[in-house]
Amino acid sequence: MAVIEVQGLTKAYGDTVANDHLDFAIEAGEIFGYLGPNGAGKSTTIRQLMGFQAPTEGTARIFGHDVRDDRELRQAKARIGFLPGEPAFTPSVTGREFLDYQAELKGDTRRDELLDLFTPPLDRQIREYSTGNKQMLAIVQAFMHDPDLLIMDEPTSGLDPLKQEAFHGFLREERDRGKTVFFSSHILGEVRRVCDRVGIIRDGRLITVERVEELLARGGKQVGLHTETPLTESDLDLEGVVGFESEGREARFTFTGDYNDLFAALADHRIVDVEIDEPPIEEVFMHFYGGED
Amino acid sequence: MLPTTRYDARRRVRGTLAFAVLLAAFALLIIYLFPTIAESSADIDAFIESLPESFREGFGAETYTTIEGFVAAELYQTVWVLLLGLYMAYAGGGILANDIESGRLYLVLATPISRKRVAFEKFLALGLPIVVLNVTMPLVVFGGSVAIDYPLDPYYLLVVHVLSIPYLLVCSGIGMALSAVLDRGDAAQRTAIALVFLCFLLDSVTLGTDVEWLGAISPTRYLDPTEILLHETIDLVDPLLLLIVAIVLVLWSLVYFQRRDL
Repeated sequence: MAVIEVQGLTKAYGDTVANDHLDFAIEAGEIFGYLGPNGAGKSTTIRQLMGFQAPTEGTARIFGHDVRDDRELRQAKARIGFLPGEPAFTPSVTGREFLDYQAELKGDTRRDELLDLFTPPLDRQIREYSTGNKQMLAIVQAFMHDPDLLIMDEPTSGLDPLKQEAFHGFLREERDRGKTVFFSSHILGEVRRVCDRVGIIRDGRLITVERVEELLARGGKQVGLHTETPLTESDLDLEGVVGFESEGREARFTFTGDYNDLFAALADHRIVDVEIDEPPIEEVFMHFYGGED
Repeated sequence: MLPTTRYDARRRVRGTLAFAVLLAAFALLIIYLFPTIAESSADIDAFIESLPESFREGFGAETYTTIEGFVAAELYQTVWVLLLGLYMAYAGGGILANDIESGRLYLVLATPISRKRVAFEKFLALGLPIVVLNVTMPLVVFGGSVAIDYPLDPYYLLVVHVLSIPYLLVCSGIGMALSAVLDRGDAAQRTAIALVFLCFLLDSVTLGTDVEWLGAISPTRYLDPTEILLHETIDLVDPLLLLIVAIVLVLWSLVYFQRRDL
């Protein structure tokens, strides 16, 4: 059974549709990245999963519990660790007081172990915390009751690179222990490093859900050409040429089509040098985000 | 037991103590002034009699020549009913809206606790100032009156405090209801203060006029310290009415808060 099942989930605020009939499922033991630019509707989905907002249409189930039913959802919440985007705390409490409070609400089985890895200054008031320290405190509270499912909104934002790496390693270990992770991100490198599958959302619509390797493969190759006479875009009027740019006799583009067509089209030109590379992951996503054209 | 109440109440300790000290200082100052006024040859009561009725009634001023009348008017009708009422409305206005606005509530509501429970526990935390002030004030006022040799009847003093609790709960409830509806903490708090103050005004200015019934929507009309302290009459119907209103306000807030989007 899927840990999270999103079924036709729709959230409209007046005329704005923040989530438009989303359908996807997250299986036990996977790390699922939920990707999209700012304002795409990622946080709206997460708020509905957590019961903070009610769907206008459709629903989602977590461990089989319907998120529209508060009583049911609360049973699921006992097994969920949650990390909001930009976590906020009462400024006048210390980190320790906050964790003690959270412990009373949901339990606390592994706080000490987590505090070896993530090190917010527990005895200081949270008002003195840096963004990174707040994020670490929020990470500790998300995992302290050893939940089976983690729902996280931009979990590494604010962390320094070393802590980000530590967090990614920690996530992979958790996955290997059988935990399921659902997190939103717009940091593409993060996705490549830790996710098993990704869902891409744009303007409230789910564009694709696939395995990271497939996504990268489908993203095509970065092609660089050095020709004797300048190339124009019309010379390469082929399926699969994306983002053609040229400067003098150098041309670059992303190619997702058939190589034979490409070489046939190039047969009329004298080629000085050719480079075919893995595209930077950003390009892969540009493929999905890129303008309406 | 009640983790959210304890967590919230701890944040209120400092403010409550500061408020208690200020109120005590003011109470002692008022009481200290009383002998001078009581022994003054000027006919203060005649002056009070000459004031407009709405003013007299609004501030409960009937007689300044007895300690009961003086304390009721100078301390209870104004500072206690108005100032503390505003304070509780302000405090109530902050309990949900501030946490919604800042996003702090997400980390609490992500746990397996129901929203209603969280909101109710937060309301209970408002009990801290209510209880602390209703314990310290009668002690200070009684002590002060003994010290100047015009002792108040401790029984009626206590009754004033016990019967003001439903009123303070209504003020808190008004704040809470606004806090459940509005997204911005300061908007909820300011609106709550404005509402309670308007009610107080409405009650005062309509007294003795043809539209006296208009003031009946004000919670202040159902609490009369002068009546209790000076006339030693105890009416339980009005406080009971206030208690019912407070319960309705809190229940409505809980239901609304449970259903709304955050």
